[in-house]
Amino acid sequence: MTTANFATLPAPGFESGAQAVALAVSRSQYPAGDSERDLAFERDALPWLDDVYRFALSLTRDEADADDVVQETFLRAYRSWHTFIPGTDCRRWLFTICRNVFLRSRERQRPTVDLEDGEQDAVAAGSVYAAARERGYDDIYARLDLAPALRDAIDELAEPFRSAVILVDVEDMTYESAAEVMQVPIGTVRSRLFRGRRLLQEKLLTVAEDLGFTPAGAP
Amino acid sequence: MSAPPRLQLEALGLSSACADVLRHLWDYLDDQVTPEGGQRLRAHIASCTTCQSYEMYQSCFLEAVRKLRVELGAPSALRAKLAEGLKEQGCGCWEKVRATQEP
Repeated sequence: MTTANFATLPAPGFESGAQAVALAVSRSQYPAGDSERDLAFERDALPWLDDVYRFALSLTRDEADADDVVQETFLRAYRSWHTFIPGTDCRRWLFTICRNVFLRSRERQRPTVDLEDGEQDAVAAGSVYAAARERGYDDIYARLDLAPALRDAIDELAEPFRSAVILVDVEDMTYESAAEVMQVPIGTVRSRLFRGRRLLQEKLLTVAEDLGFTPAGAP
Repeated sequence: MSAPPRLQLEALGLSSACADVLRHLWDYLDDQVTPEGGQRLRAHIASCTTCQSYEMYQSCFLEAVRKLRVELGAPSALRAKLAEGLKEQGCGCWEKVRATQEP
């Protein structure tokens, strides 16, 4: 998992002391129009184009929309390059911009979904497992290729849960990194992630039933 | 509204050690528990077939989700458009965007 420090994009005048110093250094290192800035952008940002595209596609679920989000993400990143702190995690910084561009493109407010406690969802997942076990479906993930159904199920998740699952489970980010990208506390990432996983498992159980999946050992 | 976690656990008839696994298995699999907590969970799982099955189920689920990650490349049309956008902004490395090959 990624463990590098987070590169913040603080509002001007609201940086912490350490951030302000780092930003001042960054600004002096990369003045606008400086070729060093272009080299740094090429070295640190451009290698993540494919990753940002994949993330944008998973958010938008539409190739044309993903193109627009990625385009805006990188143009915004280039314009704001002086706010990127060299040596920090550029991929996470770009993902943060990408998610903000996506949310604004959809004119969405910050998610205000009523979240259950993460523990509640972890426990509820036990109930889903008990239901799967009762039906002989407790080995479906080992026996079936559920990738297409899983992809559809993730697409159907409500946005805050989808981002949490994509960032942590698919993109292999730590809770801390995902929290920075989603701009929420780590506990909220945990709650959203656990809810997202539980909802996915419920959907996949239904898919297995609809497909007439035969339990192991059945005649 | 569903019952509180504690009541749900009681309804499932689980021991307190099994209940701990149920509550914290995802934290454990995500490497988010303390070393002591992880050791306690591991010790119980090693001695409980129900929790072993549950761990296997959740591990297989997380592995299935992880496998969804495909090394998808940004399309060449997007690269060309982005290159033009960066060029307009005076970015000296705009050609590099187009030059990078899709995987």
